[in-house]
Amino acid sequence: MLEYALLAGLVFGLYFSLVGLGLNLVFGVMRIVNLAHGDFLMLGAFGAFWLFNLIHLNPIATVFLALILFTALGVPLYYLLVPRLLRAKDPEMLSIILFFGLSQVIEALATIVFGPSERSIPGRVLGSGPVQVLGQSFPAAWLASGVASALAVLGVYLYLYRTRLGYLTRAVMVNREEALATGIDVHRVSAIAFGVGLALAAIAGVFAPFMLGSVTPAMGVDLNIQSFVVIVIGSLGNPLGTVLGGIVYGVSLMFMQTYFSSWANLLPYVLLILILLVRPSGLLGRQVRRA
Amino acid sequence: MYQSIFRRIAVNAAAALSAAAFAASVWGAGSPAEIKIGTLYASSGNFAAISMPVHYGLKLWVDQMNAEGGVYVKPYNKKIPIKLIAYDDQSNTATAATLYNQLITQDKVDILVADSGSVLTSVAVPIARDHKMLLIDQTGTGAAFFSKDNLYIVLMSDPVSSIWPKYIADFLTTDGVKLGIKRIALLYSTNDFTGTQANAVRGFIKAANAPVEIVYDQGVPTNTTSYTVIINNISAANPDAVIALGYPNNDISYLRNLQDSGVKYKWQFAIYPGLETEHLEKTVGAKGLEYVYTYTPSSVLEYKAEFGMSLPQFRAAWNKKYGEGKVSFGFNSVAGYTTGLVLQKALAGTESMDQLALRKAIFALSGKLKTIDGSFELDETGAQIGEITPLGQIVPDGKGGLKFVVVYPHDVATGKPVYPAK
Repeated sequence: MLEYALLAGLVFGLYFSLVGLGLNLVFGVMRIVNLAHGDFLMLGAFGAFWLFNLIHLNPIATVFLALILFTALGVPLYYLLVPRLLRAKDPEMLSIILFFGLSQVIEALATIVFGPSERSIPGRVLGSGPVQVLGQSFPAAWLASGVASALAVLGVYLYLYRTRLGYLTRAVMVNREEALATGIDVHRVSAIAFGVGLALAAIAGVFAPFMLGSVTPAMGVDLNIQSFVVIVIGSLGNPLGTVLGGIVYGVSLMFMQTYFSSWANLLPYVLLILILLVRPSGLLGRQVRRA
Repeated sequence: MYQSIFRRIAVNAAAALSAAAFAASVWGAGSPAEIKIGTLYASSGNFAAISMPVHYGLKLWVDQMNAEGGVYVKPYNKKIPIKLIAYDDQSNTATAATLYNQLITQDKVDILVADSGSVLTSVAVPIARDHKMLLIDQTGTGAAFFSKDNLYIVLMSDPVSSIWPKYIADFLTTDGVKLGIKRIALLYSTNDFTGTQANAVRGFIKAANAPVEIVYDQGVPTNTTSYTVIINNISAANPDAVIALGYPNNDISYLRNLQDSGVKYKWQFAIYPGLETEHLEKTVGAKGLEYVYTYTPSSVLEYKAEFGMSLPQFRAAWNKKYGEGKVSFGFNSVAGYTTGLVLQKALAGTESMDQLALRKAIFALSGKLKTIDGSFELDETGAQIGEITPLGQIVPDGKGGLKFVVVYPHDVATGKPVYPAK
């Protein structure tokens, strides 16, 4: 049971890295809290569900569509909302209020369009039957989702550390004012990062029916909490710290389910309190400050 | 003489006119323009999937009544239109508590109807009691809601949770033993609805004194969405039968994870494959429901309704009104409609609109009312003890679809259980 929980936790953790990644990227670049992150994830999930039901589009193909569409959606949304926010005295606090409102609007619209009930995509779409890993049997859809999450994380790494745009993005993350002073088009860089953040949420959403069993328009709130835990554990503002946060969260959750299943829903809050008490900057907090 | 006759006629006429005027003031001016029924529903959140069908079922009844000129109310001896005041609690208990208070104190509803399910009903129970309002509990079946000293609750449409699993336990401790079932795993979500059922299962099994043991007994939070590790843990206990008690989101995730993991238990029970078959078939897939044991719901059994629409008629009315399919037809839609039927009968029989008179009128129906939900029967605490659902098994129908086979109790069984599951 121990080995199974550990391996399942790693797969689940990879997925939760993807869930939190976009939120952390947006916070890291803009220092705003996108409380509608979970709702963009939900939109990605319903997009995959809708396309699968309508034209039997494989969710893997939906990933690429989500990447393009949500990045394209994010850029104008950034220019509509964020520059105004950043001019405010306390943009972090205001962003919480603004994106909470946006979250409510998205959830309400999704409920009107899709109805309140759970929806899902058959697991066989991502591979049939269980797959053996180190002597343990896992659903193929889980592994496919885990691999896709790992690839998405790798993609973000390459974007941040191997492209010119990534260098500029990291410069903005370190100090927005200094980046502006050196002539970087901060808004352009931030708008693209915002779009990528939304796209990452939507891509995580595409795999949600397989990892979470089903999706509903109301799922965003729970996922926001889990995303926060993941990024606070890893380090707020450090996208790659999210991977560590996700894995810690995933493994802890599976151990809780194995040994204290009734208490498993307390885990996010307990982890959040623990990390804030013991290491408020997150497990990789110091590294990000020196980046 | 003529004068005396005219005087007597005049006096009698005046008396008759006064009496008529008095009667008019009692029967006419005293009758309200509408009967206000206040209720909550959850259009979003964790309980939307069980709340909306119940709400839509109740709304269908209200619309039908209003199309006929209203509901007959005995104290006013006339039909009065119904005004349904419904607020969205978004599956949030704190919001629900505020809105229940609003319905009672601001809207001053004549009848207070709870939202669906035990979680959203739980907050209404003390509020209704404090305000001495009879809580029309639609599907909140937690046993803790009902006590002899609380006169202000009555359960309409589902049996109280403590008796739901009786036939599961009876089957496992009798027929199951003969089939070779000795080891039982019990997995449940930690809420009133399924927690009470889990307690009941333990109690029934213990009382049966049969040669079966519970080898796995774990609760999980109601918002659990991943069961792969839990399934692995259950398998490690090597059970012959697995009872999974959860809400729809739990059942969907559990059955999907079970299917995707390639695990097949010899005997598997889950609640919602029976209660919301269409919904589960869409989300889990027909394959994932094959050979699963479940409650056989009123939406399948077709009880002979002595009051209200028959099941096919209700189904047709539902499809006509809500044809878009966003809210699934099933057990919960029947429950909402049944609430309306019980209220209709109670309003036609109550002596006054006083809450305790209404309670008396509803209790008077116990054992005498048969709807598409089965026999309406209450115990002294207001808990529903009729409408018990038999144990069924979902099996392939040979045409690519699924069908229900009632396997227990024997007097209503329509077939034999397939054990072990194929």
